[in-house]
Amino acid sequence: MDDGESSARRSSSRARKVAPKMGAALLDSNTRAQAALARLEALEKDNAGAHEPIDLDDDDEASPDEDEQRPHPKKQAKGSKRKTRQAKALERVASIKKAPRSFLDLLQEANLEALPPNVPSYLRAAVGPPSVGARRHFCSVCGYLAPYTCTVCGARFCCSRCQTLHIDTRCQKFLA
Amino acid sequence: MVRTAGIGGTSSVVVLDNGGGFCKAGMAGQLEPTAVVPNCLARPRSSKKWLVGDQLQECDEIQAIALRRPVDRGYLISPETEREIWERIFKIHLKINPSDCGLMLVDPLFHLPSTQRVTDELVFEDFGFQSLCVGNAPVFTHAYQAHKKPTSLLARSKCSLVVDSGFSFTHAGPVFQNRVVSGAVKRINLGGKALTNYLKELVSYRAWNVMDETYIMEDVKEKLCFCSLDIVRDLTIARKKGKENSLQCKYVLPDGIKYMRGFVKDTSSAALKADDSEDDDVEIMGGSNPRPRRTMPEKQEEQELTLTNERFLVPEMLFHPVDLGMNEAGLAECIVRAVTACDSYLHPLLYSSVVLTGGNTLLPGFKERLELELRPLVPDEFDLHVDLVDSPIVAAWKGASLMAASPDFQGWSVTKAEYEEDGTLRCRQRFLH
Repeated sequence: MDDGESSARRSSSRARKVAPKMGAALLDSNTRAQAALARLEALEKDNAGAHEPIDLDDDDEASPDEDEQRPHPKKQAKGSKRKTRQAKALERVASIKKAPRSFLDLLQEANLEALPPNVPSYLRAAVGPPSVGARRHFCSVCGYLAPYTCTVCGARFCCSRCQTLHIDTRCQKFLA
Repeated sequence: MVRTAGIGGTSSVVVLDNGGGFCKAGMAGQLEPTAVVPNCLARPRSSKKWLVGDQLQECDEIQAIALRRPVDRGYLISPETEREIWERIFKIHLKINPSDCGLMLVDPLFHLPSTQRVTDELVFEDFGFQSLCVGNAPVFTHAYQAHKKPTSLLARSKCSLVVDSGFSFTHAGPVFQNRVVSGAVKRINLGGKALTNYLKELVSYRAWNVMDETYIMEDVKEKLCFCSLDIVRDLTIARKKGKENSLQCKYVLPDGIKYMRGFVKDTSSAALKADDSEDDDVEIMGGSNPRPRRTMPEKQEEQELTLTNERFLVPEMLFHPVDLGMNEAGLAECIVRAVTACDSYLHPLLYSSVVLTGGNTLLPGFKERLELELRPLVPDEFDLHVDLVDSPIVAAWKGASLMAASPDFQGWSVTKAEYEEDGTLRCRQRFLH
């Protein structure tokens, strides 16, 4: 056991994270709900999965004047290591401060729940859950109406052909 | 001297509809906006420089272009980004100096205090506008409709229900006495951006990986998506093979060499066109431009994207967000809830003038689909009349332009001096919608 653990620690963290989650996800509705939420979140993104690199680049582009100076810090890097590390850390702090916060952060900060119920606000304008009609399910592979559910991850499929495709390609991919 | 002219004359009022997708700008009194530019910065893969607004539309390298938007979920969160876009609009398109002008701004409903402050700071401190007046899309769209049809019930009753389905979200907003009944406004958190991303997700799994091609997929959505009137029937058609499948469409993705922009391939004349283009392609390929990706046979040089049921399953989500796993009512029920939240005397008036605006309403069949779903939900003694504005993307701008040109503009607006004296909150109280 001990040996296995230590070797796992050295291997990539990605593989380690996935394995226990896979087991837990077998019938865990919580994980499924989380994945569904993450998917909805992704619908509001501008650039798929590329949030951080773009923010970092922002820092470079923020002031166009720096463009000419760009080779400068590189030269410094050869000189003294400590300075650049410090500078980098400072830069990172600055970029965190400067990076625009998402609307959801601002919404939380605004604390709209505290308003009396008769004041119209962003939160109260939300339409709320539907009163009639159940969720229709479409095949995650081909888009047709899907009567079957994947027992492992809860995705939908319409026929055995799509099921095979689903298991081969997508099943549980959202966990990675 | 210039300043007094600016305050007195109505011509030097800038009208700006700062939407999540497009920024519409022009001068008060104009019939059409001077500039309708994408409200984002974009950076092609090969370049270090960000392109601003309309430069994106002329850019030749749109594959995997990175976008940066100043607006998140409909609200301004990044004034630095927005400043660059506005600067270009004012300088290049409108050719004005903001400090000589007033500003009529179309604002989203339910601003948060923080986004409100950011907007005001941008207007007064960064650009130094003389005065500011804000209004929201439902009011302006209503004003535009009333102006266009002065004898209609909508204009006489000063009452309508404006459905604004834009880039960031969809609002159903009752307008009464030319003002929004803000307590009754209902919102679905789905807009054009979410639809594009949903299409991206579907296509990336089923055909090409287009997760980085937001800009291209937006074009695909605008050209090929439509609202289905009978989803089961259309799904069955979409499942058929060959010519029986009348819903199948092909879109040629841009490759950056031959096609800078993608386009819809006409299924009927596809054979002819393919022959022509093949020859061209061979010539180009034989020239000075060898490409690394030569594994595919030359006949399939065009990257085609075949869409069938994605074409109507994507807009379908606006009418049934539940299908997406989103616990929200669809558009028809959203409208009903907005109306029900108003006084019952208004219900017949609101139902008889439902106005559709916003980019999503340009999807073919949107109005018919909405009528189909809405009618069963509306009490049968009420008339239901759904009207699509003639130019959904700029309708709010046009209404704002009309109102900014009216002599009352100065009375409505807050001047820079007042802003400096009172700050954001006090000024905004004057605009209470």
